[in-house]
Amino acid sequence: MVRPGYFFSETFSSLRRNFFMTCAAISTVAITLFIVGLFTVIVYDVMGIVNSIKSQVELAVYLEDGISSGLKDYIEQEIKSWEEVESVKYVSKEQALEKFKEQNEGSDILKEIDGNPIPASFEITLKDPEKIDQVALRFYDKDGNYINGVNDVIYGKNYVNKLFSITAIIGVITIIIIAVLLLAAIVLIFNTIRLSIYARRKEIEVMKLVGATNWFVRIPFLFEGFFEGFIGGIVSIILLYFTGNFLLIRAERLIVDTMRIKEMAIVGSSGIIIYVYIGLAVLGGLIGLFSSGIALRKYVKV
Amino acid sequence: MNMIEFRNVTKIYENNTTALKNINLIIKKGEFVFLVGPSGSGKSTFIKLIIKEVEETSGSIFVAGRNICNLKLSRIPQLRRNIGCVFQDFKLLPNKTIFENVAFALEVIGKPGYEIKIQVSQVLKLVGLYDKINSYPHQLSAGEQQRVSIARAFVNRPPILLADEPTGNLDPITSEGIMKILSRINLIGTTVLMATHDKNIVNSMRRRVVELEEGEIVRDQKRGVYGD
Repeated sequence: MVRPGYFFSETFSSLRRNFFMTCAAISTVAITLFIVGLFTVIVYDVMGIVNSIKSQVELAVYLEDGISSGLKDYIEQEIKSWEEVESVKYVSKEQALEKFKEQNEGSDILKEIDGNPIPASFEITLKDPEKIDQVALRFYDKDGNYINGVNDVIYGKNYVNKLFSITAIIGVITIIIIAVLLLAAIVLIFNTIRLSIYARRKEIEVMKLVGATNWFVRIPFLFEGFFEGFIGGIVSIILLYFTGNFLLIRAERLIVDTMRIKEMAIVGSSGIIIYVYIGLAVLGGLIGLFSSGIALRKYVKV
Repeated sequence: MNMIEFRNVTKIYENNTTALKNINLIIKKGEFVFLVGPSGSGKSTFIKLIIKEVEETSGSIFVAGRNICNLKLSRIPQLRRNIGCVFQDFKLLPNKTIFENVAFALEVIGKPGYEIKIQVSQVLKLVGLYDKINSYPHQLSAGEQQRVSIARAFVNRPPILLADEPTGNLDPITSEGIMKILSRINLIGTTVLMATHDKNIVNSMRRRVVELEEGEIVRDQKRGVYGD
């Protein structure tokens, strides 16, 4: 019914009129969403790192020397019957010695080795690495001693738990920063819209007088808010694209290399980046709509 | 047919000033009515009630036979499209040309462009400003600006035209010109209600006069004068 051109020309002339406020609102949204996006990617990638570390976590159960093959087989069967267990690998004393020699080739240690001091072991991997504590406990009896035939149980417990708590802290900090910035963005867009409502108050008065519907009065302002938020979103995507490609990937490669993690999900290569981009644009538009919606409720009593 | 009807209408503002007290009044279709009285007698409130810019405290108001008191908020625009309004301060938009100012009233209600062109040209001829179509409000005299605002109020051919002190800012000769246009609009069949305290105009027109004083109707005279 109403020409769409009307709304576009109204929207853009209003954006021009409040040029500096418009810029302020757009850049606030851009910075906010950039940080939101950056943290999302970082948290996602840290989770990826944690997960790949977790998947490498093994439980090593060392056996007493001279264990009878019957007891050894019994323990092996027992471990295999646990549902948390992904795989069990038996490493005999000879294989363990071979491995040790390989790892320490050319070292003086080898000369000092007399006979075979290295115990046989079971290397256990779990379906869910977080259950590692539970599984490890089964190698102890009621009094806290190792069960018969087992000499030692070793796994990287503290390492994993530290990583978990670091991720949690990053998550909390992220949420706080994002909340504050989102609020700032909303307040700024709110103010821009309020200014442009003020600039057009005469027009609005006349509109109401000649029988414009409420939506007719509101739509240009909603457009304006949406536009500011959406453009802010686009700018944040551009910022994130460059930061992701030039900084984040390098930083994460470094982490991955130093920590010797096998498989890794990094920015760019990780599939979520496109969803992050889409999410930022949509979120920007929504922030804009939402803030101008509040401003309208407050200042345009139709 | 009753175009505007007030039944026991009272309006008390939030600050407890009583603007109108128990008003009963019927204005028939095609009438030209002067609403007179000193400042603060309730003339503007009377007009604002008709376009629902303010809500009555009690009583009922009928416009074209319809009770507008319990009108849904979303229906108010429809009501206003059938009532043209003219004000003392013109309320023209300074950054729009005369054509655009008048066309605005039609754009806002979603008329197609070609229809807007025809209707705006017609109404500007009616008020005698067709040659100023591309001027801006500040390039016109006060009387001309008021004619533009009448054109805007009437471009949609509403059955009712309300005028709140339309000559309040104008000299007597210019006012006369405005009254001629309002008379012409009334002759076409439009019901006109004009609030004024311009004695000369009321006296020269000899139309129905309703006098308000402190929110009450103290006189309703068929072919009246302003009074003493």
